[in-house]
Amino acid sequence: MIVANYLTSAALFCMGLYTVLTRRNLIKMVMGLSLMEASTYLLFVSLAYRARSTAPVLLDPPAGQSPTQLAHGNTADPVLQNFCLTAIVIGVAVTGVFLAVVVRIAQHYRSLDADDVRQMRG
Amino acid sequence: MAGPGKATEKQPPVTDREPHHRHRLGLLLTAATAVVLAAGYLAAPREDAPLPPVARYALTTALPDWKLLEPVNEIVYGSRGFDTFGETFLLLAAVVSVIMLTRPREARRGYFGEETAGEREQRKYDPDQHPNAEERETRVADSREQGPDGPRSAARPDSSPDRERLGRHGPERAESLTVVARTAIRLAAPVLAVTGCYLVAWGYAPGGGFPGGAVLLGVLLLAYAGFGRRRIARVVRPAVLETAELAGALLIIGTELLGLLLEGSVSANWLPLAEPGTILSGGVVQLFSAGELIEVATGLSIVVFALLGVRRGWAPDEGDAEQDDAVDESDAAGDAEDGAAGGGGS
Repeated sequence: MIVANYLTSAALFCMGLYTVLTRRNLIKMVMGLSLMEASTYLLFVSLAYRARSTAPVLLDPPAGQSPTQLAHGNTADPVLQNFCLTAIVIGVAVTGVFLAVVVRIAQHYRSLDADDVRQMRG
Repeated sequence: MAGPGKATEKQPPVTDREPHHRHRLGLLLTAATAVVLAAGYLAAPREDAPLPPVARYALTTALPDWKLLEPVNEIVYGSRGFDTFGETFLLLAAVVSVIMLTRPREARRGYFGEETAGEREQRKYDPDQHPNAEERETRVADSREQGPDGPRSAARPDSSPDRERLGRHGPERAESLTVVARTAIRLAAPVLAVTGCYLVAWGYAPGGGFPGGAVLLGVLLLAYAGFGRRRIARVVRPAVLETAELAGALLIIGTELLGLLLEGSVSANWLPLAEPGTILSGGVVQLFSAGELIEVATGLSIVVFALLGVRRGWAPDEGDAEQDDAVDESDAAGDAEDGAAGGGGS
């Protein structure tokens, strides 16, 4: 029942979205964005899953199979695993940028409330 | 929250209210998104669907074309190398943004000698002008006001730019942990560091530059937590990390461009392929992976330590001007306040 994973991912995304929409504490907004990021990791890994499959690794194939047979056989999707791998690192870096902005805002406005940041309002 | 008495302090505390806004609208938008996502996800391929052609292609070409037993590595650094190339520079852009946002004014690298030069110039162009009685009196009063030890003992330690200590804005200096934790870290850190490099070197097994770089960052953070900033300051400084970061980027650009020049397409393999199951199997995949290790390890370290060391803002609040002047010894106190400001909401 991999659908449960998909729906959990959707729920995580919605929790993150709700946090970003309704909270005004900048740190919590960044946490909401991180939650939305995390939901995509879960989605990628779940989409890559195949029933009764092996990992997409041709090293040490199961008994009686050659690596080439395994490559044509039942394995999980390696492309989506690749997406997940790169997304995690990019997610960390982007969260770093968000937090740097938040720290600067806190220093400048002496507040973490997004509603206090009005200086650039056009 | 600070009372009215505390409001007169130089820096008002960071407020940490917890306002909620537009509950119903947020709920409505979230519910609509949930419906769209659920509809889409329910129609997504399930666990019994056949693999998409691109995945099957990657699986079947990994061994014959790249001599790799690890299709994920082959995709990341080989057949989808251009995509990873773009993501690497996205990471670099994020790192540069963090550096731009967090770095205070540049540390002074040498004495400018404004005051000495000014005196010399004065003597040269205006040798006849001797201090008159009024000026002498002012100077005496000035030095009396500044105290017996000269200008440095007074409220303005940096009255002469020549006296400013070099590199004064160094990040906060944490103290080390107990001997038990330090010993554990001493034992664990080398093992972890080797593991990080192993993940990259053994490219025919799961691993690669991304997880390897994250492991190396973990080693640095362990050392930071255990021994404090000063002990790792020799390694964790912008000159080292940023140079390594750009060297990694250069290695990746060179790897990809040589593929274009020698083989006619970006990220094509131009190295001889070794037997499957050896360190050199995979050709440029391994080179790219090593570049990515440097890129990720140094990039994430720069981000983390930039955030840990972030100091005053560019635009001082009221009161910050005095603080800027008042501080050399009280620098640490100011940092503590700034640290509280940064972490106040977490």
